Amino acid sequence: MSFRAKIFLAITVTVVVAVWIVAGVVSTLVARSFERRDEQRTATLVAQFHAEFNRRSAEVARRLDAIASSDEIARMAVDLGSPQADPGKYYDQAQNLAREQSLDFLELVGPDASIISSAEWPARFGYKENWLLSFGDSKDVFLKREELADGAALGLIAVRAVSGQLYIAGGQKLDKQFLDTLPVVEGMRVELRTTIDSTTPSREITRSTPDATITSIPLFGREHQLLAVLLVENSRLELASLKRYIRDTALLVGSGAVLLGLLLSFWTASRVTRPLRELTSSVREVAEGKWDARAAVRSSDEVGQLARDFNRMTAQLVEQRDRMIQAERVAAWRELARRLAHELKNPLFPLQITIENLQRSRDTPQFEEVFRESTTTLLAELDNLKTIVGRFSDFSKMPAPELELTNLNQVVREVIKLFDAQIHAEGRPEAKVELALDENLAAIQADPEQIRRALRNLILNALDAMPAGGVLTVRTQNLDGKVALEISDSGAGLTPEECERLFTPYYTTKQHGTGLGLAIVQSVVSDHKGTITVHSEPGKGATFRIEFKA
Amino acid sequence: MRLRAWAWLALSSLSLIPVAGATRPRYGGSITVDLSSTSGATILPLVEETLVRLNEKGEIDPLLATAWQFDPDKRRWRFSLRPKVFFHDGEPLNASHAAAALLPALRKKYADVNATAGGQTLVLQFDRAMPDLLTELASPHLALFRNDEKGTPVGTGPFRVTAWEPGRRIALAAFEEYWAGRPFLDSAVVNLGAARATGDIFDIPFSSARRVLPEHIRIWESPVHELIALVGDNANALAPAIDRTPIVNVLAQKKGEAAFGLLPQWLSGYAFLFAGPPSRLPSQLRAVSITLTYPASDGFARSIAERVALNARDAGITVQPTSNPGGALRLVRWTLESSDAAAELNRIGSLLGFPERALSAARPQELYEAERAMLDAHRILPILFLPDVYGIATRVHNWDAAQKSGGFSLHLENIWVEP
Repeated sequence: MSFRAKIFLAITVTVVVAVWIVAGVVSTLVARSFERRDEQRTATLVAQFHAEFNRRSAEVARRLDAIASSDEIARMAVDLGSPQADPGKYYDQAQNLAREQSLDFLELVGPDASIISSAEWPARFGYKENWLLSFGDSKDVFLKREELADGAALGLIAVRAVSGQLYIAGGQKLDKQFLDTLPVVEGMRVELRTTIDSTTPSREITRSTPDATITSIPLFGREHQLLAVLLVENSRLELASLKRYIRDTALLVGSGAVLLGLLLSFWTASRVTRPLRELTSSVREVAEGKWDARAAVRSSDEVGQLARDFNRMTAQLVEQRDRMIQAERVAAWRELARRLAHELKNPLFPLQITIENLQRSRDTPQFEEVFRESTTTLLAELDNLKTIVGRFSDFSKMPAPELELTNLNQVVREVIKLFDAQIHAEGRPEAKVELALDENLAAIQADPEQIRRALRNLILNALDAMPAGGVLTVRTQNLDGKVALEISDSGAGLTPEECERLFTPYYTTKQHGTGLGLAIVQSVVSDHKGTITVHSEPGKGATFRIEFKA
Repeated sequence: MRLRAWAWLALSSLSLIPVAGATRPRYGGSITVDLSSTSGATILPLVEETLVRLNEKGEIDPLLATAWQFDPDKRRWRFSLRPKVFFHDGEPLNASHAAAALLPALRKKYADVNATAGGQTLVLQFDRAMPDLLTELASPHLALFRNDEKGTPVGTGPFRVTAWEPGRRIALAAFEEYWAGRPFLDSAVVNLGAARATGDIFDIPFSSARRVLPEHIRIWESPVHELIALVGDNANALAPAIDRTPIVNVLAQKKGEAAFGLLPQWLSGYAFLFAGPPSRLPSQLRAVSITLTYPASDGFARSIAERVALNARDAGITVQPTSNPGGALRLVRWTLESSDAAAELNRIGSLLGFPERALSAARPQELYEAERAMLDAHRILPILFLPDVYGIATRVHNWDAAQKSGGFSLHLENIWVEP
């Protein structure tokens, strides 16, 4: 994960989590606040309901007292007390009295509990209201479910008995109009549910739905029977709206945080990672060999200090490299001089001896013989000197390869064939040659003559490394887009230091080598855009591996 | 002693002079009539008259036609119109007026009718026999009248219309040229749909019919002439559940009578034959809910419907009263229009969807069988018959006698009032 992504993730997560926590806390506090408000509202409303209930009860009692003490009722009671009383003529009396006293319910009931007149259900005259017979003289106002022609209604009912001839039962409806008198604020709803079943709660409970908090308050009749339930509903829509607003705000802030995180990450990255990227790029350049790479120093902070240290380090590396090159150059020249001196000293010494012999034998009878032998020796040594000079000259004049489609297996077989006589020379310990050639080896673009030359040097080195005989293995194989050629011997092997310096010109581990063989091999491989490596351990032989592009 | 006795007798005679004066008819004065219903048929006969009328015995009496003849097959009827009869606008009545007034109404029912008018002679020609034509012509719907440019009816009756507010108020004035002589009253105002009864004459709801009324008001009750019944498929099946007695005694305040037939006893003479024990209640009725529609804004009808529902509930049947139309049962209030039993039975039959039959009040056996057939069709359950109940101010005189002029309309032409 990039540094920029990490910064972006850190900022975003931090802000989003913070916003989420704040939103959650605020939502919880708001919800609790609303719950407290709803509880207060409900309590106020219920108190008002009871106050109105009591007020209406007193009103009903007062109106019923007025009816009971009215002249009409007095006359009616007297009339009904006579033997020839005809209750039927008072059929609409209750309606008139109820209208006068603004009562919703009023029944005039005879001593046998037969309805004489009913305001709420006029047609019900003659029917019985037996519950009145056991009512007594109570002046209480109580809740009662009244059966009506079109259903049932809940009423605040009071009863008065007049002269033992008449019961007066009347009251007012406990209905929507009653509820309309309650101070219901916006967001509240009050309902009187008169449909009672087994699931209707008989105690006050509060339950919450996603839309509302509903408090059920049971209302009981005179004999404590459940008659209705007052439902106080506090809408949670306002709370839901507020929560939605908080959530939307949190989402907005969160989105802003993500955007801010994005911007901050870009900005921070531009402040922090750009110098680092530049530094990384410079490091990569150094790794690729461009040791004079420099990192831009843009700040004085840690990154700037790092860039300065990097620049100082590369400067030191360049300086050390230059010194090393100089040292290597001096060493190479010294080696060259030593090698030249060594190579030239060998033929020079016979020359000197031969010439001194000639000088000593000038006046001797053997001069002629000595002269003849000496000149022969001088010529031989001079040829030797020319050979030495020619080798150096050849190394300095490596031509550019003339590329053509070349079968590497064929080149290997041709070169091995050249060494056939040398390998099987009489008196030489036998060296076994093993060819592991991939017959499907891809052809490569190469100069076959230079490849042969390089291969000869490698095989010669391998044979030289096995003076007591051994196994020479030549292997070719296809790689992924490349072709590999390995020459292995089972000789004494090389030390790591020898491996390291093996391709240095004029470096040799042999008694009479020029140190140019492997240098020439490396030059050929390099000219073919290939690579050469050596793997060896002392006592385990050596393997040279060359890879060409297919 | 004899002298003192004669003196006492003389003083007593003097004291009777004002009383005798009060009972003597006098011209002049005005009355107000407050009617809760808006039935025009109750009032219009004061303004419009028919060729003939049915008297209280159900017999045909001449009115605008003084004589009539018909051919043996009763297809051609010849009427002699009363001479010197004037419309309220002063135009004398002749046969052309009668033909113009009658033909449109008759042709709604009898497309084949033709009229020939000549002077005071009107000939009505039908393609079919018309044995009951006189009874039909006595119907207020076949009164002779025309409308003036304001739409006010102009007839030949004892009162002319001076102001006409349809459905609310009719102002009448005595028609000086009325052929039977000017009415005693100078004018009358009829308030229709009156909320409060403060007039000299007013109809009384049954719920108040037995209330103590002011001293200057007396109650007058017409013969029962309104049928309240349940109509609908299998309506008669509810008969065992319905207790008519409380309905009559309480809801109608004993002003009506229980109805078991379609015509009241006084009209048919055989209504008592239908008052047998009720049959058993069909058990399948207990499984259904029946909607009973009563006329909207009719409190009395609603009370009866609710009482029927209560009775039905006691019998285990669910009857739901409603003022919304479309109920399986309807509570109807049908008013008799004449004292001709045959005509009224045919009229009720037509309301129930029965074809018209050739019936005659002179053949009560046929009437009974026809009525029995209608009842046995189970489409109607009679509940009670009702009269009209009016409160009459004591300053109104000759009321009872005036109402014997026939029909079920108010007769104000022969009453007179004290100042």
